[in-house]
Amino acid sequence: MASFRDIALYRLATITPKYLPFADVATDDVPLSRLLRLSLFQVTVGMALVLLVGTLNRVMIVELSVPATLVAGMLALPLLFAPFRTLIGFKSDTHRSALGWRRAPYIWKGTLYQFGGFAIMPFALLVLSGYGEAIDAPRWIGLSAAALSFLLVGAGVHMVQTVGLALATDLVAEKDHPKVVGLMYVMLLIGMVISALIYGALLTNYTPGRLIQVIQGSAVVTVVLNLTALWKQEARDRNRAREMETAQYEKFSVAWRELTKRPGAVRLLVLIGMGTFGFGMADVLLEPYGGQALGFSVAQTTMLTAILATGTLIGFGFASRALSTGRPPIPLAAIGAAIGIPGFAGIILSSTIVGAPLFVSGIFACGLGAGLFGHATLTATIQNSPAARIGLSLGAWGAVQATCAGLGVLLAGIVRDVIVGKSSTTGLNVQLPYNIVFGIEIAFLVVAIIVALPLLTNSSMRLKGQRDTAPQNNPVEVS
Amino acid sequence: MSDDQDKVWPTGLTLKEAEEVHSYLIDGTRVFGAIALIAHMLVAISTPWLG
Repeated sequence: MASFRDIALYRLATITPKYLPFADVATDDVPLSRLLRLSLFQVTVGMALVLLVGTLNRVMIVELSVPATLVAGMLALPLLFAPFRTLIGFKSDTHRSALGWRRAPYIWKGTLYQFGGFAIMPFALLVLSGYGEAIDAPRWIGLSAAALSFLLVGAGVHMVQTVGLALATDLVAEKDHPKVVGLMYVMLLIGMVISALIYGALLTNYTPGRLIQVIQGSAVVTVVLNLTALWKQEARDRNRAREMETAQYEKFSVAWRELTKRPGAVRLLVLIGMGTFGFGMADVLLEPYGGQALGFSVAQTTMLTAILATGTLIGFGFASRALSTGRPPIPLAAIGAAIGIPGFAGIILSSTIVGAPLFVSGIFACGLGAGLFGHATLTATIQNSPAARIGLSLGAWGAVQATCAGLGVLLAGIVRDVIVGKSSTTGLNVQLPYNIVFGIEIAFLVVAIIVALPLLTNSSMRLKGQRDTAPQNNPVEVS
Repeated sequence: MSDDQDKVWPTGLTLKEAEEVHSYLIDGTRVFGAIALIAHMLVAISTPWLG
């Protein structure tokens, strides 16, 4: 018997570390293939966003005939979790692990929540809509199950994105951060576009069975992609583990106060909020606007989204190139916002004069501006963060960004459903409510530029070697 | 390998490290189980299979 035990142990022992999920050495030079693999987590984030905001929004209202207000409420639930991103980021900064891991445990937990939410979501939605015998079930079961599933997916997405970005920042050298940010944004966009196409194709012929397949399929794909992304990325580090055991971490409130005391930190967050809100409302409204105000066909309005995405991609590319040559990010963000203003103005004017060409170029300008703005502000967040506070800084970025983008989408949806619905009965101008929203967006972008102005002249935003200093060692910030 | 008292033999992890890896597995199993339970209850509500 003993010999069997020996053989089994010998076999176990000869399994090479190749099959274990940690990188044994933290190399200075991370190859692109590894970064590409890491960026897969952004694909799952994009997938979840599209499923929640785009696909399920329609399926719940049209096919499941859930009241629109209830749908809006459910979709707003993940937003409630967005502020907790700062806390998640902070906890990952100060995580204690015998393996020396800081980010991997949180990505794993986030993946579990994402998976769990998707796994129960289709059944929760079917019960909520009173499918089959569920019509006799008490109402609260469907409501609470659906709310739980949306909360789980939201929480998972927030965790995975915040900590995943922090891990990517940890992995690469400072000079390569702009490229990583660009890569992460591009993968998010690619994930959103591809999954929107796939969901659209799969759910054309809706059946309850198909809904279950699609959402649970997303759950499986999420786990597979996230584990692929995470595999062997974070080094197992005994030295760091020993440091973690004895390290004294300050409380969240102290760390937060230190972060916000840094010059320009709060201003940068406000800038991110204003700009994201300004650009964020456009996405939802462009297609109905093109259809109603300019008489585009459905296929043509889909092209509009493609044009917007192309503009955004070019914006990312340009920002990546400019920022990796060492240009400061804040002016670039201001330029992005400034490009958005004539873009939206063109969209507004296109309903009265010139028409389609102006509209299309306006959309392209908006996409370009949004790409530049998003890339530059995230890069600024990373560059201005001390190395030991990357998670917290990215958490703050994510909290502001996700909240403002979500509010923008919600507000745009309300405008689309309520005001547009009213104006068609009262015989008002069709484009008026849209133009009011686009006007609001211009106003927010102007505010963003004004907020950015003091940061433009403040060259201390980008001090060399600033990231290397731990925050507890330099309570007085040089400005 | 075997002269370090802390190390668990075949993997080369220390006891603490092995316990931490195990804790992730346990966490995963718990969440997984809870999710499966909820999903089964929801399915049973909409299409009862136990009569």
